[in-house]
This record gives sequence, structure tokens and C-alpha cells, in this order.
Amino acid sequence: MAATKLMEVEDLKVRFKTENGYVSTVNGVTFSILEGETLAIVGESGSGKSVTSLALMGILPSNGEVYEGEMTFKDKDLRKLSKKEYRGLRGKEISMIFQEPMTALNPVFTIGFQLRETIILHFKMKKEQAHQRGIEMLQLVGIPDAEKVMTRFPHQLSGGMRQRVMIAIALSCNPSLLIADEPTTALDVTIQAQILTLMRNLKKNSNTSIMIITHDLGVVAEIADRVIVMYAGEVVEEAPVYELFENPMHPYTKGLMASIPKVHDVVDDLYSIEGTVPNPADMPAGCKFHPRCPLASAECTKIRPELKQMNEQHAVRCIKV
Amino acid sequence: MEQTAILEIKNLKKHFVMTKGIIKKNTTKVRAVDGLNFDVYQGETLGIVGESGCGKSTTGQLILGLLDATEGNIYFQNRDLAVLSQEELRKARRDLQVIFQDPYSSLNPRMTVEELIGEPLVVHKLASGKKLREEVIELMKLVGLGEHQLKRFPHEFSGGQRQRIGIARALALKPKVIVCDEAVSALDVSIQAQILNLLKKLQRELGLTYVFIAHGLPAVRHISDRIGVMYLGRMVELSDRDEIFEKPLHPYTQALLDSVPIPDPKLRKEHQLIEGEIPNPSNPPSGCHFHPRCPYATDRCRQEDPEYREIMPKHFVACHHPLL
Repeated sequence: MAATKLMEVEDLKVRFKTENGYVSTVNGVTFSILEGETLAIVGESGSGKSVTSLALMGILPSNGEVYEGEMTFKDKDLRKLSKKEYRGLRGKEISMIFQEPMTALNPVFTIGFQLRETIILHFKMKKEQAHQRGIEMLQLVGIPDAEKVMTRFPHQLSGGMRQRVMIAIALSCNPSLLIADEPTTALDVTIQAQILTLMRNLKKNSNTSIMIITHDLGVVAEIADRVIVMYAGEVVEEAPVYELFENPMHPYTKGLMASIPKVHDVVDDLYSIEGTVPNPADMPAGCKFHPRCPLASAECTKIRPELKQMNEQHAVRCIKV
Repeated sequence: MEQTAILEIKNLKKHFVMTKGIIKKNTTKVRAVDGLNFDVYQGETLGIVGESGCGKSTTGQLILGLLDATEGNIYFQNRDLAVLSQEELRKARRDLQVIFQDPYSSLNPRMTVEELIGEPLVVHKLASGKKLREEVIELMKLVGLGEHQLKRFPHEFSGGQRQRIGIARALALKPKVIVCDEAVSALDVSIQAQILNLLKKLQRELGLTYVFIAHGLPAVRHISDRIGVMYLGRMVELSDRDEIFEKPLHPYTQALLDSVPIPDPKLRKEHQLIEGEIPNPSNPPSGCHFHPRCPYATDRCRQEDPEYREIMPKHFVACHHPLL
């Protein structure tokens, strides 16, 4: 299967201006998203996974900037887009859903208004047409009584319903890429299962690519085709999902897998990665994982390992493998 | 082996009254906890799981005496907490401590680690001066912090280390029971494992009893001896950990377990989804609260409240049609 690349990110670097000068939180990230695939980006807080997605959407906070690298979407260089061009792309070609739908939806407008707003902006539809499409979108994401929900305000809906509304808005313009930043983290497990199933079905029925950002390896295993593991602003491992779970190579990935409590297999003591994620303002030299790595040697403190291609689809950033 | 109950919960209820309107006062009752009966055994970890709004945190707060029960009793070491005098209650509270979910908001940002961990000892007038500092250092070592961190403030620590400070605070009064209210839910996976291991180690060394309240089922399974499942203010099932996970009898427990994503793509499956959402606790469904979402519901479930009963030895369930 030679699917075409929808998005290509090459050596992306993002930094933030702080009181103490620039702090770089994404340090040379390279990956691509194929048409119709679900790519999961996994990492703990501070790994740069959310910042990467904000950079792709062109919505970094005002003190942040992409200072190196390339982002190409459908042969368009995203870094060269004007603000207006970006606005035309955002919501139509690439859209995003966030972790907490309560803060992402506007509390003073009805669901219907917020759905119509996006549709009218991108499709130049009449209000009635947009309204009709809004209702269809709500039905698509499994909201019962869609017409009534159009008149509701965000606070009148439950968390799961709000997340469905977010997805409906995000999909209302048939985007080619949907970026989902921790879409189920704030939800209860039974609702999480509903949302994950919904996302899987959406992908089956349309050809939307999904980039899902999560820290939950369970969610990854459920939904992803390919996985990128990030640590301290770098990609440390990249592999198809089956391969990654069967044969994790990077010590960090191995550690992450071993430290999740298993529902079906109880051990006495969990494996734990000692220490904490390093502060971006004070990164260790050499391999960034070496202070926490059980395999680290003197070499690891000096050399910054390259991302090595182990086979066609599996790449690892570690000198020990 | 007959285990002794350190805590006995009898028909515990907590109803919150909500008033709406200024002139015509409409009151509605939210039955956050609606008739709980269970024991917590000495030295065990009892996990309590359930989705948001099921009343699990309220249960924890009732046990700690942070809320007053509307009805029912809590017996701690055979004594009813509700009838104790102020003085006796103060003493009992030393034995009942809590670890909160969010180590960012549960620590006073203006206090140093030394003051934070020492505070319970000062409040209960158990130590002062040099002895206080020694005890604080002892506690810090116990949870894996170092003496050099005494004078630091919470913002200088990562989430995992802050949770360690919270644990040291809870341990300061040498409690018998610790209520862990979502104690690891806010932490990253690798840090969560560190804290779970620490809690287990402390339990072995100090003979603690935990009431571990959480929504993350894998973590609960890892740490608990027995697990209770709550739905809309009621316990629907309670049994040994492995029984709950391998032979769940209540349809809700089964659905809950089915919803947990398994970190192995080979086991990817079509979920047995339960439809709908948790009803509003101020207006719970008639009969069995779970019936609108239950695939096995019958007319009896819509009308008659199922009794919470010991269906097999040490396996309690509240369902008309348990999955036997």
C-alpha cells in the first residue's frame, strides 16, 4: 500500500520566549501522516506532543514560534502561509478537538450557532442550509434529539455530549486531517469507549486522517495504525502499532509499557521509570533520557543519538539497540 | 482466616439539598450516597470504583468526617463516629487520613515542605522544635524525598514529588486508615507506577489500611485486595479483586470492565458499549438505577429496587438478574 503523504513534518523546532531567554520544547521532530491513517503521538507531560500539534495548526501561544524545520500539508508550505490563508485551512482542511470540550466551546453561544459559524465561514452556505448540515453532523456523531441540542448551550450538556459536539464541529467541513489532543482523557471510561468507537467508525466511513495525541497506551492500542513516541521534545521511537507493542526497542518505550498496570495480569510491584521528565530549560547533554535510563553508559551522556531506521517502518533513537 | 473490620459502614446516606428560585423555593434532593453497607478490613486495600457522579468521593469524605451523614452510621474500630465527643473525634481523626488527587491544589503554595509535612504534628501538638524537624526528615525519607528539600516550596517540585509530600503529610500522624481519593489519577504513567509502588511499600511496612477511590480500573486492580463498584450512590457489586475482574456478576461491572482500553492491539475488540450516560442523581430512574442502560433489564428491574445481598460467600451484588 503506497498511500500518499498528507502531512510532512521535517526537523520541526519550536521555542518559547520566557523571562530567562528562549526555551526550546520541540527539538527537531520529523514525521509524516499518510492519507486515511491514524497516527498516535504518545508521551508524558512535557514531551512536546501538544506543542507539536499547536504548531501544525498555527495556533501557538504568542510567545511561541517555530524557528526551524518544515511543515508541508498537501504540498503547501505551512510556514509560508499568510494569516488569512491559514484561516482558510484551519477548520476546513485541518481541524482539531481538545481535551476539555467545556473550555473549547464558547459558553455564551448555542451549539447550533457554533456549528453554523464554521460551516458558513468555509462553505458560504445560507443559514438554513448550514443549520440542516449542523443537525446532520450531530446525528452522525450519535447525538439523539439533534434538533433540540442545536438550541442548547454547552453547560447544558454532559461531558461526553460536549465532546461529540466538538467532533461534529471539527468534522463539519470534511477535513482531510483531524488532530485530536487527548480527546478522551477527561471522560469516564464507558463514555471514552463510545467516543473511541465513534472515531474509528468515522475513519472507516470517510477517508479522514487522524492524529491523536495521548498519554494512554490503551487508547493507542485501540485506535492507532502507527505510533510515535516522544520524550523531551524528540521522537524516540516510531513504528506501526502491532510492531511497537510486540517489539518496543527504546528503553523509554519499554519502561512506559512495563509501568502500566495490566487489567489481566497482576504483578506485585510495577516497573517504574525512576526520576522525572527533564525541565526544557535544563536539558541533559547527550541522550535526553540517559539520567533515567537503566542501560545508560558514559557514551550516552555525550552523544546525541540519531533516529536509526531499524527496518522499513521502525525507527529508534538509542545507541544501545 | 477471619478478618477484623476496622471500618463498618451501615446504611450510609448523604443527600444534598439544592434550592432553586428566590420566591418559590423549590428544593431537590441529590442522593449522592444512598444506602451503603460494607466493611473495610484491617490491613487491606479496598478499592472503590465508579464513574463521575457515582458518589465515591462523597463516601470518602463521609468516612473522614469531612461531611456529616444524612442517615446511617460509620463504625471505626467498633465505635460509632457520630456519637463521639469532640475530644474523642479529634483523636479518631488522627487515625483517619487522606491523600488527595491534585497535588497542585492540595498543598499551600506559601508553605515550605517542612511546614507542610510538620503541620499535622503541630496542630495535634505532638511535636515541636528539634523533635518536629527530626520527625519531618524521617517522614521525607519514608516517601523518598531528601533532607535537602526541607526548605523548598511546592512549585519547585514535579507532580510526582508533590504527591509524595501529600503522602508524607498523611503519614505524619501515624494513621491506621488512609483514604486515597484519586491519588494517582493526575500523574503521568511512569510517575503513577512510582507512587503505586510507594503506597504498597508503606502498607507492608506500616500495616496501613487503604480505601482507594479511583476511576482508573487498571490502577485499582493493581493495588486493591477487594473492589467495590458504585453506581448512582449505591454499591452494585463488591468482592475480591480477581472475582470482580474475572467473574463480574453485575451487568454494570461487566460493561465497565469492557470499556477499559487494553494496551495490546492484538486484543482490539468491538466494545460491548453501554448506551447512554449516567442519569442525574437528583432524579434517578425507578427500580434498579442501572436499568435504562442495562442490556438485560426486565419489567421487574424497572419497578423493584434490587436488594444488595451476599450472593456467594464474600461476593455482594445488587441485581435481579446477576450474570451467574
